[in-house]
Amino acid sequence: MKSVLTFSAVVMAVALSAQLAYAGPKVVSGPGADPACFKPWSNSTKYFQWAGRPGPYRVAVVNGFVGNTWRIQMIKTAKAFAEDPSMKGKIKEFKVVSTGTDAPAQLGAIEDFINQGYDAIVTIAVSPDGFDRVIRLADRNNVVLVPFDNVLDTDKVMQVNEDQLAMGKTWAEFLLKELKAAGKTSGKILEVRGLPGNSVDRDRSVGIHKALEASGGKWEVVQVVGNWDDGTAQKVTADAIAVHGRFDAIAAQGGTTGVVRAMLDAKHPMVPIAGESENGFRKLVAKHAGEGLKGISIGQSPGLVAIAMKAAVTALEGKAMPQLISVPLPVADYTQLKDGVNFWTSLPDNFFTVNEFPPCGVNVSGPAIMSKTEADVK
Amino acid sequence: MLAKSLTRWLQQNLGFAAAILLLVVLCLVYNILHPRGFSSAVAIQNSNEAVAIVFVAMAQTLPVLLGGLDLSVGAVMTLTNCIASELLHGSPAQILLGVVVTLLSGTAFGLMNGIIVVYGRIQPIIATLATGAIAIGLALLVRPKPGGDVDEDLSWALTNSVADFAETYGIADGGQAWWLSPFADIPVPVILVIVVAALVWIPFRRSVTGRTVYAIGSAEGSAYMSGLPINRAKIAAFTLGGFLAACGGLYLAIQTSSGNADIQQAGAYTLNSIAAVVLGGTSLLGGSGGAIGSLVGALILRVISFYFRILDIDPLLQPLIEGVVLLTAVSFGAFRTLRVKNKLDLFR
Repeated sequence: MKSVLTFSAVVMAVALSAQLAYAGPKVVSGPGADPACFKPWSNSTKYFQWAGRPGPYRVAVVNGFVGNTWRIQMIKTAKAFAEDPSMKGKIKEFKVVSTGTDAPAQLGAIEDFINQGYDAIVTIAVSPDGFDRVIRLADRNNVVLVPFDNVLDTDKVMQVNEDQLAMGKTWAEFLLKELKAAGKTSGKILEVRGLPGNSVDRDRSVGIHKALEASGGKWEVVQVVGNWDDGTAQKVTADAIAVHGRFDAIAAQGGTTGVVRAMLDAKHPMVPIAGESENGFRKLVAKHAGEGLKGISIGQSPGLVAIAMKAAVTALEGKAMPQLISVPLPVADYTQLKDGVNFWTSLPDNFFTVNEFPPCGVNVSGPAIMSKTEADVK
Repeated sequence: MLAKSLTRWLQQNLGFAAAILLLVVLCLVYNILHPRGFSSAVAIQNSNEAVAIVFVAMAQTLPVLLGGLDLSVGAVMTLTNCIASELLHGSPAQILLGVVVTLLSGTAFGLMNGIIVVYGRIQPIIATLATGAIAIGLALLVRPKPGGDVDEDLSWALTNSVADFAETYGIADGGQAWWLSPFADIPVPVILVIVVAALVWIPFRRSVTGRTVYAIGSAEGSAYMSGLPINRAKIAAFTLGGFLAACGGLYLAIQTSSGNADIQQAGAYTLNSIAAVVLGGTSLLGGSGGAIGSLVGALILRVISFYFRILDIDPLLQPLIEGVVLLTAVSFGAFRTLRVKNKLDLFR
């Protein structure tokens, strides 16, 4: 009996010390690896460092909702980037699963990959909260978990995103600049919002309103909800034009192709517009810019997945990484649009033009991904 | 004698037996293929993922046994999930109170469904479509944005093995006691599901009210003529459905330490619960089947998606494959039509 007790005590001690040794990343001071690519969110962003381990690694992408163009483009980008020469030698096994909008299924998939001994898991969270358990398990098992796009409300994991607040601000500042050039310092602006209740929608809208307030002009903002979807955005824009008659400028969070189509259908005068990075929107801006459709296009890029994958691999190599990585906003206004470079007239409307990030070595372009057939990508 | 009664049981419960066989095969193959198959960690992960859908599928079984559908089960789960995310913290007594309030609110919602269906004389599918929207509305009021405060120890203890549970609360020598070792590796969620099934479903099924539910599903007119308590059974069925959906919501809150009034998730759970009920051998026409079958059906539904994590399948083909496998599994239930002796049996 006594020996059993001693034995179990020893097992316990070993187990405890093992847990202490694998208690997740150390918080270190910056700067981190490759700051041109992995830019810290702010000066107060802390840095994480995992114990380095030899590659190649096993990496999984756990997606939530699947079924819109953005997500499909994201999945294709992830697969193509895993085959990229810069990554191929570092990844020995790569899996992508989509769980739908089902929190237990997504948490379960992450935990399953932790159990399978994967080194890194990249995910778009279905909810900004509720990941405490998998974060704890990932730290215990020394797995690098990287949420991106829809990030978590926590500073315990390394995350990758674009600054949505800055995106909203840049949109509004562009509109103000164009309106001022046309001699307007007050007027009526249409704001087409995204999915209600989402932190991205909230932050972008806050950014727009902050910039408008800061201008000191008298702006009346009409808000409609377009769900980031072409069809919905087109309908609500048409309704808004029917009710209000005329706007001096339009700021749309997404579904921007639909917004411009609604303007064209209603014969609304071409006014300055800020929107997402759909190919269709850029095509329309390039075509109608001379008539006054002076547009700015900023995208939440599906290529974020590639940066998240690269961040995970860099962390596994033992380099210091910012806890929150800010990916630079891919901005293009009507003066910078060039057919075949940042939009493609010969290609369909509904893919996202911004996919590559040269500072990060992510060179998978939108048309290269979306025009290939399934068989080619495999 | 034993062989004879076993054959009879098989003939009467062919759908259920096929479901169990399918589940066992799927689980075995999954664990063989998994690098850490047959380990406690995998069992814990699998059961955690399955609990919410298992409870919601059990909740859906009762209205289906009556011959109806409850479109509010996912919404009630979401509502109770949001309520629990507000209440499950503080002293043990406060947490216990939170658990009771959460379960009671789901039960009350089920009771309301039952009363509307019985006294409002509205078809269950329409009545619950409306009350489901109400439940989501309430959930959004309780929790306009995702988040919440759930006791960390509770969350950790209930989503792990028995040994971890004992360690968290310092009982049974921190999980090291000899008498605990036979159970140490069993996931706590499995025990919770078994307890609810054994203490709630089985007694209900054996009661007059429970048997009346089956009678209503097979022939409501005959049940009425036999003097069975029809209204009481219908209300009880919906109330119990609400309770079971609340169990799902409560566990979801404990598992995610948060609440989220996610409309799409609620819809997905409602639809999946119907699929699980059918997979488990319960007839959508009512009158035959049971919640244990739905439990098995929900597990099958989950195990199918587990395979995408160990096999190399193109991510954009996964939904298609899941659908095909599901259709095949549901078709097993149609085998009985191959051996009907009388065409009239087909209408059962």
